Amino acid sequence: MQDVKIPIQINENSAEPLYHQIENQLRSLIITGQLGEGTHLPSIREFAGALNCSVITVRRVYQDLENEGLLRTKQGTGTFVAQVEAGDRENYRLKAAQEAMQAAVQSGKSVGCTEEEMESLFREVLKAIYTK
Amino acid sequence: MEPIAVQLNGVSKMRKRRVIGPIDLTIPEGYVVAILGHNGSGKSTLLNMLQQVVLPDAGQIIWFGKEHEGPLPLELRQQIGFVADNAGLEENRITAQEAAEFRAYWYPRWDMKLFDQLIRDMEVPVDVKLNKMSKGERRKFEIAAAIAARPRLLLLDEPSSGLDPFAWKVMVGQFRTFMAEGDTTILIATHIADEVKRLADYIVLMHRGQSLGMAEKDMVLDQWKEVWYEGDLRPESIPGVVESSLEERGLVRVITTRVSEAQERLELSNNRVLKIRNLELDEVLAFWIAGYAPVQWK
Repeated sequence: MQDVKIPIQINENSAEPLYHQIENQLRSLIITGQLGEGTHLPSIREFAGALNCSVITVRRVYQDLENEGLLRTKQGTGTFVAQVEAGDRENYRLKAAQEAMQAAVQSGKSVGCTEEEMESLFREVLKAIYTK
Repeated sequence: MEPIAVQLNGVSKMRKRRVIGPIDLTIPEGYVVAILGHNGSGKSTLLNMLQQVVLPDAGQIIWFGKEHEGPLPLELRQQIGFVADNAGLEENRITAQEAAEFRAYWYPRWDMKLFDQLIRDMEVPVDVKLNKMSKGERRKFEIAAAIAARPRLLLLDEPSSGLDPFAWKVMVGQFRTFMAEGDTTILIATHIADEVKRLADYIVLMHRGQSLGMAEKDMVLDQWKEVWYEGDLRPESIPGVVESSLEERGLVRVITTRVSEAQERLELSNNRVLKIRNLELDEVLAFWIAGYAPVQWK
């Protein structure tokens, strides 16, 4: 069984708690299929070591994602990625995009942009990215 | 309930300069617990009492669920590993190899293969008498020998003092591997923030002989944030602010324990957040000592 390296990036200078950062990123890796069904996750101690966090935090993340049905733990063999429903993947995709957009609009508003300005900016960005 | 490695109930000891304790502490099995505190705060006394090198004047210590009247039984001693601040004199005139053979006799779970590998990885000379080694080499031998005895409880008193950065990295790796293999418990007294970050699950803070309590490391480090903002919101009206100052060009710097609420409050009132920074371990400990106890997981 081959252990994969899990690409999780921790931002220490963020308002988001460490535990949330790890959980959200791991969830996203699973739902988007970057960690496929059956992937064997590192042991709690190994993962904690790689992330420089405590085993308590990793255990909590594994437990939460197991409760959400994204992970399953087999006694004695470890923790694996479970099967993700196609509908879940679709919902998550749109939800993730919406959240990012919300954050962008929020920062625009905080520097005093009007709704019209935001709309024209949005169109510009859209054009720049999608017509590459 | 998790199994408990050691428990101290009202343990105290009169030292030359101050009374250590009364200490109440419960260390769960299978974790790395960092013991932090200034010099003379009682860290070493605590570790020494956990293996009866120092006997408490009062209170009760329970090892793996059992209290022991009088000296600790041999079977228990064989399960406790120790890297002391000052290495003992007994093995001074023998080589690392001879000392390993001596220890193999006393520790039933001694793993000579592991010892040889650790000594190789950390580049400790095997044919030099222990008192002829440099401070760092001796320290590396002590660490290798403590791990090779495969203890159930490993007590480390500033294990990295005298180590070069390369050896330090190897040491941290060895402790991690060792932890991954079983339900060992490590208590490590240290001043090195990086060591705490890389190894610890829990933090115990000692101050003037008292234990200020135990908290999860990630919770302790996550709780404190410094926020820089631009705007006219008064710091007093921001949630969780314990310190604030007016900086150049009208910027305000606050330290808060409730950063998401603080950020929300600032954004709602059109104040611009410029930067959020995690406090360093030493800054966090200063607040803890000043009376701001860390939050516990709900």
